[in-house]
This record gives sequence, C-alpha cells and structure tokens, in this order.
Amino acid sequence: MKRLGFKLPSAGLFIAVLLAGVFVLLPLGSASEYSFRTPALGPGTYGWDNYAWFVSQPDFGTFITLSLLLAAVAAGITLLVLVPTVVWLNLRGQKLRPLMEFLTLLPLVIPVVALAIGAQTSLPVELQSNQYSLSFFYFVLALPYTYRTLDIGIRAIPLKTLSEAARSLGASQIKVIALVLAPVVRGAVIASVFLTIALSLGEFTLTSLLHWQTFTTWVTVISQSNILGAIALSVFTIVAAFALLLVVGLVSIRTKRRQVTEE
Amino acid sequence: MRFKRFAAAAVAVVAAAGMSLTFAAPSQAAINYCKVTDLQSSANGMNGLVAAAKKEGVLNVITLPRDWANYGEAMDLFSKAFGIKINDDNPDGSSAYELQTIATATADKQPDVVDIGVSALNSVTGPGRPSIFANYKVQNFADIPAEWKDAGGAWYGDYNGIIAIAYDSSVSPAPKKISDLTNAAYKGQVALGGDPSAAQEAFMSVFAAAIAKGGSVTNIQPGIDFFKTLKQNGNFTSVLANGANYVSGAYKISLSWNFNAPGAIASAKAAGKTLKYVIPSDVALQGTPYIQAINKKAPHCAAARLWEEFIYSENKGKTSDKITAADKKLPGQALFNTILGGQNIFVSGGATPITVKAMTKKGLLIKAPAGLDVPKSAKLVMPSPDNQAAGKSLVTSQWPNL
Amino acid sequence: MAKPLSNTVDKGAANRGALVSDFTRQLVPILPLLVLIVVFLIWPIVNVAIMAFEDNYGNFTFDNFVVASQGVYAQAFGNSISLGIYSALLASIPGAVFAYIIESRGSEFLKRIINSATSVLANSGGVPLAFMFIAAFGAEGSATVLLKAIGLDIYAGGFTLFSYWGLVLVYCFFQIPIMVLVFSPAVQALRREWTEAARSLGASKWQYWRHVGFPLLFPSFSASFLLLFASAFSAYATARAMTVGTIALVPLMIGTLIDGNVIVDQFNLGKALAIGMVLVTALAMVPYLLIQRRVARWQK
Repeated sequence: MKRLGFKLPSAGLFIAVLLAGVFVLLPLGSASEYSFRTPALGPGTYGWDNYAWFVSQPDFGTFITLSLLLAAVAAGITLLVLVPTVVWLNLRGQKLRPLMEFLTLLPLVIPVVALAIGAQTSLPVELQSNQYSLSFFYFVLALPYTYRTLDIGIRAIPLKTLSEAARSLGASQIKVIALVLAPVVRGAVIASVFLTIALSLGEFTLTSLLHWQTFTTWVTVISQSNILGAIALSVFTIVAAFALLLVVGLVSIRTKRRQVTEE
Repeated sequence: MRFKRFAAAAVAVVAAAGMSLTFAAPSQAAINYCKVTDLQSSANGMNGLVAAAKKEGVLNVITLPRDWANYGEAMDLFSKAFGIKINDDNPDGSSAYELQTIATATADKQPDVVDIGVSALNSVTGPGRPSIFANYKVQNFADIPAEWKDAGGAWYGDYNGIIAIAYDSSVSPAPKKISDLTNAAYKGQVALGGDPSAAQEAFMSVFAAAIAKGGSVTNIQPGIDFFKTLKQNGNFTSVLANGANYVSGAYKISLSWNFNAPGAIASAKAAGKTLKYVIPSDVALQGTPYIQAINKKAPHCAAARLWEEFIYSENKGKTSDKITAADKKLPGQALFNTILGGQNIFVSGGATPITVKAMTKKGLLIKAPAGLDVPKSAKLVMPSPDNQAAGKSLVTSQWPNL
Repeated sequence: MAKPLSNTVDKGAANRGALVSDFTRQLVPILPLLVLIVVFLIWPIVNVAIMAFEDNYGNFTFDNFVVASQGVYAQAFGNSISLGIYSALLASIPGAVFAYIIESRGSEFLKRIINSATSVLANSGGVPLAFMFIAAFGAEGSATVLLKAIGLDIYAGGFTLFSYWGLVLVYCFFQIPIMVLVFSPAVQALRREWTEAARSLGASKWQYWRHVGFPLLFPSFSASFLLLFASAFSAYATARAMTVGTIALVPLMIGTLIDGNVIVDQFNLGKALAIGMVLVTALAMVPYLLIQRRVARWQK
C-alpha cells in the first residue's frame, strides 16, 4: 500500500501506535491481571484457573456457537441489505441521505429498554419466538456505525463515473455493483461487517430484555458468585472477538491477493 | 428494477432462513394444576403435585441472584431433588422488569413465579384491577402474618432483611454504626450498591442513614444530607458496589442487606478478600418483605405451585450437596419432607423468613449465620410502603445533585 | 456506447418523471432496509411513544412532557447534551489524526489489526468497561500505583474517576475507536492522485489541506462528530456503574423510571424522556445538515 498524503515522519506512525497501545492495554491489562489471580494457591500467585473454570462449564460451547451463528446472520443482513442500499443512495438517492442519516442515528439514542418494551408489545408472536429475530435487532443496533462507515467510505469514491463507465462498456447493473463497485468499497464493507459481528457477540441489554439466552447473558448467570471468573470472562470476550475478527481480516487480505494475482 | 429485486430477494432469503427455526410449545401437565388453588382440595396431594411438576420438568424463575437470600441454594436444591431445570431470566433485573415481562413476554418466556418489592406489588394490585397472579394458598398459609398476604392467596411476603455495613477486613477502625462513616480514615472508601432512586437496597440504605442522623420513617432528608456530607468530605465514592469493584479496591465499605452477607463473604473469600458484615448499632432498618406470587400466565403450573410449597416449607432437612440418588426416588411427599424448606434456606442466607414467629413456636428455625446479630442499642424500624413512596420523591429530585 | 437494453431503467424513469416524484423513485431501492428499520425499530418505538401521551389510566395527556421538561429532568438534558459535546470534542480529533496516520503510513497488516481492535472496542461499555478503568486508575489501580512509585499521586489533587469528567475520560475508550473506525474510510478515499496533482501544481502543505484535504474530509468529520455526540449523549450502562445516579443524566433517569425497583408515580414519564432524546437528536441534525449543505456548495 502506498502512502496517501504528504510524507509523514515514520516516527509519527510509531508514536501513534504506541499511544494507542498504552491507551488500550493499560485498562485491559490491569483488568486481566485480576483474571489470572489464584487466591486459592496463596496471595500473589497466578495461573489459568479462572479461564479453565468457565471453559469447563457444560454450556460454554453451546452458547458460543449460538452467539457466533446469530452474529453471522446479522453480518449477512449487513452485506445483503445495507451495502447495496448505501451504494444506491450514493449513486442516485442523494435526496434521501439526510433522512437515512437521521434514521440510522436513532438506534443509538432510543433507550434499549424502551425498544424492548415496544418490540414485545407490537411485534407478531411468531417473530418474537424466533431466536433469529435477535440477528435483525443486532443489525439495526449496529446501523449507527455501519451505515456511517459505509457511507463515508463510499461517498468520496466517484461511483457515478465508475458505474457509468462500466455500463457504457456493456455491463449490467448487478455486474456493475458486484465487479466494479464492490472491490472499490471493500475496506468500508469489511469494517461494517466487523462492526456488526463485534456488536452481535457483545450485545447484552436487548438480548436479556427480550428474554433470550446467548453467550453474554449466560456469562452473567454463571459468573454471579465467581468474581475473578467473571473478570476472566470479560477479558476473554474482548480478546476472543478481536482474534476472531483479525483472522477473518487476514483471510480477506489473502483472498484479495490471490484475486489480484489471478487477474 | 433488477437492483431492487436483488435486494428484496436477499431480504427474503435471510428472513426465511431465520423464521423456519424452532418454536418451543409450552409443556402441559396431565392434571390441570393451573386451576388448583390449594393442595388440601387437590385429589393427589403432594405426591400428585411433585409427579406433575417433575413431568413438566422446567421452572421459569426471574431476577433471582444466587447470592441474594441464598436463592442459589434454593434453586440448586429444588432442581436437584425434583429433577426440574430452572431458567433464571436476567438474575440482576429489577421488580419492574418482572412485571414488564408478565405484561409483554411471549407465552413460553413468561415467568412461573415472581419475587417482587412491595411498591412494585402496589403498582399492579388494588381495587378494580384484574389480578395478574394466580390464587394459590400454600400449606403454611396460616403462618404468614395477615398484613403480608392476600386473603385469596394471590400473593404473600416471603422474607425480609436488615441494612448492614459490609467492610473489608483491612479497614481500620472497623465501622460499628452508620454515623461512624464520616471518619476521615474512610476517605474514598464508602459506596452504595446502586442508585437509590432505582435500587431498593440503596434506597433503604439512605433511609437507614436518615434514622441514624435524627430523621424518621417520615423524614428521609437527614439521610440524603448525610451522603452529601460524605461526598463533600471525600468518603463517599459513586462507584457501584459490586464484587469486582470491591476486589479491585475501588471501595472498602458499603451498605447492604444482611441476607447478602453469606454469599458475598464466600465470593470475596474465593477472590482472596476477607469481607465482614455488621448490623449498625445506631439503626436496624428492616426492609418490607419481598413478595412471592404465581403468574397467572405461568407456563409450568405444577412446578410453580411446587416451588411455592417449597419456598414456604418450614422443614429442617437436607441441603443440595446432601441429596442422594435414593432420596430422589422417594415418593413426592416423602421427598418434600426430606429436603430443607425454603423458609430455613432464607434463614441460612441471613434473611428473616416471613413465618419466623410460627417457626420459633414450632422450634423449626435452624441456626442463622454468626455475626449478624442485631445490637441491643439499635432502633428497629420499618418504613411502610407509604413512607417509602414519600421518601422516594425526595431522593429522586435531590440525589442527582448530591 | 450504451446498449439500449441496459438503459431501460434510466429511460423508463425519465418518462415517468412527470408523474412520479424524484423522491418516491429514489425510495424504492432502499425499501428492504427501510422495512427492517421500521419493523425492528420504528414500529416498536411508535408503540412506546403513544404511551408517552397517556396518564396512568390510559387517558390522553401532555403531563409527562411537562414534567420531563422541568426541574431535575431539564437539568439532566443539559448535562447529557454537554457530556455528548465534550466527549465528541475530546474523541474526534485524536481519532481523526490516528485514522489519518494509520491509513497513510500503516501496512495492510497493521490496518487489519486496528480495524479488528476498533470494532471490538467501539462496542465496549457498561460494568466491564468501568471495571477496566477502576483496575487501572482506581484508588488501588495499577496505573495509580505505578505513577505513585515515580512520585506522581493522581489522587492528591482531588481527582476522582467517578465524576462528570471521569465519565468523559472513560467514554474515550469506546469513542476514539468509533471515530477511527468511521473516519478511516474517508481518509482512504483521499486519493493519492489528488495529492500528487496538488503537489505537481506546486501546492504547499498548507494549500493542499486548505483547498483539497480539509474540504474533502470535513463532511465525513462532521458526520462522525454527530455520531460521537449521540453515542455519549445516550450512553447508559457505563454511567450507571460509575455514578450510581449522583449526576443527572437522561439515560440514567429513563432506566430508573422504566426499569427501577422503586416504582414511580407517573408510569409513562420515562417514555416521555425517551421521546425527548429523539427530539434532541433531531435538533442536533439541523446544524449538521446546514454544515453539510455549506460544504457541498463550497466543494463546487
């Protein structure tokens, strides 16, 4: 990747990454120090006991699988519904953008507890009884971030010029989107999918208010009287989500490289 | 428009994939226990109730923290003895959440039984309001004081507690009364377990402070002023008092129900801390009893009734770790008689069971955990629901500017 | 040359132009998204909003809104709005600079790390987030102890994490990642060709930023700023864990009124406050849209 702006001293990058590292790792590291404590073996001793404790819980795998599944469906909705819509809005839906910007801010400002009450009083029972309805809620809750990430990423690309050029070469609308526009907006698309996954894996309030059991709500139940275990679980959740997204991200770099070499 | 069709089809595919999945139907008992209003008039007695509850196999409870009044043991024992799986919906939730769930949740997610505060009860009962609870009189119904039960058996009090001071063993000098908390040695160490305008325990803590500082059940103002003083001299820190924050040293002293003591002490010990509890010598503030009730929409009617019988059982008996495979094979009534009753489980959790007078008379009370005795000098008071309503509006308007 | 067939969309649209307004025509392709937003957000909320106009007995009233706009509730709106603005100010600039540095200098691998990390951190909050900061900067936190060891007592000057400014600090933990995440695509779009063109035309660094970089990034910056404002304005769980209600904030009061153990006199007051939050957000859109329009004109 070549650099974009004017030359920056590479010290700038180094300092930025260093500061960000301290900013994130100081609180996270301090919390994880507690998660490794093993008071049963005496003060000042450390080990993996608290992690072994939750991994050995009978439902650990079940709920992780369920949460991953719900996150995957939510990510699918982002890809299939949101991405095409934002592309369209930038192509020729300019007038609707203020409306969409407002609508997509709402999930953030509407208190989740109010949303939960409204959803339970207004949505059909069949929909509420289906656990995959959660994925749709996660998708909506992620909209403030995903919509903006996509919109900002796509906004600055001369989509119109690109799509007109492609169409004048005989490509259909779908082909234009799939083959010409998709690769260009790739970065923003990946970011928005990541956001959806991260939000889905970590969402607690709405899930709990709608009386579903997922990984996050299971965590609060099992860690009730295990203080250090609860801390270990919250550290694990953050680190595991990060690792998962990193792996997905690295795979996507590889496939991109392969595509480039094949072309 | 091809693009539109593409997007619409995408939605349809995703939606269809989601919707085709399972819908769990509520289980049904052979005998209709939903209409049973007491065990005496029911043909098969306890044996029949236990058999029907076992068949249902599930009990939906709601907002029961394990450390709270030893509910953890109550759930473990019930679950193990009768082979009934317990779903605890949102253990940290509020009474309002319990009522909201009854009002809005789908049939399969309805709680079978609730444990709510008195003010929450008053918001759903009253003349002319249809009851949301099923009438059921437990066998020990007569042992519940008349002011804490509905004559028809729609609801009944179960236990109450006293506000205690919880403190880390490193705190010096050890606090003995609420007015001690202004001591300069406690800088940045005093916390509450919630927002008093939202959480009952924190609200009653402010009431306790009021009475310790010259207020009364009708005058909570000195309590608010007391916390204002504590904030000004730097003793009060607005960190949420919970296990993790305590272990990290963010606070060392908090006000808490005495019935959280055994659980909290054990959790703290497992995390390498020594937590102590003491009932303040200047005030023993009693909470109004919490209220048990069976949900009219309960999906597991027999299990719900068995749970209430169990909660109001005054038996001495086996705890969850003592139950054997042979015990589980006993007929319903015999099994029920073998296990420790709910009222005594509350005792072992540090709470005062509602049938305490009858149990004392019958000699059925087990020993309460040590160290939670009420000092003789402490004023024993209990703000009535009306007192609480009046106090609450003062707290709501003043606490945010503490 | 365009093939006639693939051009039907535009032609048909142009023919119908006289009958169907521009707006409706633009609306059709975004219907799937709109449907999802309506079903899973708007419809449930409308149901709640109606209750905001009801008294305890279901009769129509404005009382909930009257109470919601007075006394401690009015103060709560003031506090929450200022918290939103300060938090957005404090997080947007470092976030934007960081995004720029990473996008312009970072390797693809580093970008993936940052991308994954910011996605996760943007979603952090509540009791676990409060705990992380307590573990680091609390009275016995590791950073506090470390700083004390080198002679810096952060608690000497009356500092406390559990205050208005403590919240602003802790919110940075998710606010800066949100900014990085949302703003990075904008920086990515600042194409190299433009910089090079500007340079080859002899533009100075200042001129480049004044005429190219800044005008191009500003709309994205203001969109991100608005998001940060809304995010801090409405944050709930973290504030609850760190203040136990000692600061008047709207989301906390809504939580108390709708989900508290202490039941309130006016059942629907919390819902009126929730509608108030939506109104504030709508109002915040006004200056934002004005800025956007201004910039659009400027870019031409």
